[in-house]
Amino acid sequence: MNRKHETPYLSVFSPDMKIFELVETAPSLLSIFSRLDITLPFGDISVAQMCERDGRNVDLFLIICSMHVDSSYRPTRESLHIDMLQDVVAYLRASHRYYAEHMLPHTSQHLEKILQHCDELSRNLLRRFYDDYSRYIVEHFEEEERCIFAFADSRAGGVADCSILDMPHADIDDRSNDIASLIFKSLPAAAPTQLRCNTLEHIYALRDDLRRHTKVESMVLRPLVEMYIKSGDDETL
Amino acid sequence: MKRCRVVIVDAATVIAEGVASLLTRSTRCEVIGAYSTIADIHTLLAAGRVDVVVASVSLLHRIEECAELNNMPVVGIVSTLHEEEVLRKFTATISIYNSAEDIERVVCDAVATPTENNFTDSHELSDRERDVLVLVARGYTNKEIASELNISPHTVISHRKNIVHKTGIRSVAGLTVYAVLNKLIDSEQL
Repeated sequence: MNRKHETPYLSVFSPDMKIFELVETAPSLLSIFSRLDITLPFGDISVAQMCERDGRNVDLFLIICSMHVDSSYRPTRESLHIDMLQDVVAYLRASHRYYAEHMLPHTSQHLEKILQHCDELSRNLLRRFYDDYSRYIVEHFEEEERCIFAFADSRAGGVADCSILDMPHADIDDRSNDIASLIFKSLPAAAPTQLRCNTLEHIYALRDDLRRHTKVESMVLRPLVEMYIKSGDDETL
Repeated sequence: MKRCRVVIVDAATVIAEGVASLLTRSTRCEVIGAYSTIADIHTLLAAGRVDVVVASVSLLHRIEECAELNNMPVVGIVSTLHEEEVLRKFTATISIYNSAEDIERVVCDAVATPTENNFTDSHELSDRERDVLVLVARGYTNKEIASELNISPHTVISHRKNIVHKTGIRSVAGLTVYAVLNKLIDSEQL
């Protein structure tokens, strides 16, 4: 079955694609399945079938996949519909959990291994810097969930505060870069190169994933919240 | 046509005044003044009143320490032998044996072409940048740093940009860790 869609996906992605083809094209998409807790195995089902099975919006799912694999991809405003709001909030909330429970602790474990090669002062400073960074990110997530997500999924009255989606993201990106720079430039030669490289790979992966997450918030969530408010339906929230 | 505003800096007064005299005759240049040290032109640079600096290659260390010069054409005056590597750091160079026409052409071309000096190529912090970094790590504001080091807030901002460029670290917390790890500051001073 060939469906025509108005949504401008990345040309390689379509609702009719088998999940296997999708993942084979971009294995990094597995992390999206992981954070959304999508049931395995997929067998031969298509993206559309999987979304129908799990009650997900297929257009939004493909937009998120496109943004995940192509940093230059920007969904048009026309491709976004108000009925995507609940789904994008569910995805972002799952992402928050993924960072808090998986990526941040996992990166911390790698960092801890490399810190064993540092003197006590360096070890304490870098550990504290990373812990502060982790705490800052988690607190930022909590603030977003309180100010935006709760509004979007009808748990709170009042007004959505979209300003939370602006400034702090640059700060998170700066701190991600800072950790990488400090490890790259300041660790003693005693730290094995392989270990140092592994740790840096994790830190860069975390930074890049957070950037993609931020893009979904600013290019999908924010316009959807604004559309929702403009539609006048916010009284029912 | 807008004339390019030039300052000349050379510890040898005869050279500084000589180059200034030659450029004063040019219809394409406006000579702001001739000075003997880089410190003498800080105020002019901070005020944005200069398009190009013509300075003795011997002043390279002082030039590297001057944050405002990292994004400005600097033409080196060559009066003795220098390593090729040193000369490459300048946007262009003139020799004291060049004709007035050649000096005018090189200076004006340096303004017209994108800045290609390489003072920031070194990722070593200059002494001044270290001073600024230490004060940043100790929680000073730009205004307080300017007052402490007796420089303009504009110059502090330029130094901070260079520190970020050289260290790859942006946040104050990250710069503080960098300063301690590199023994620029004792953790007890924080």
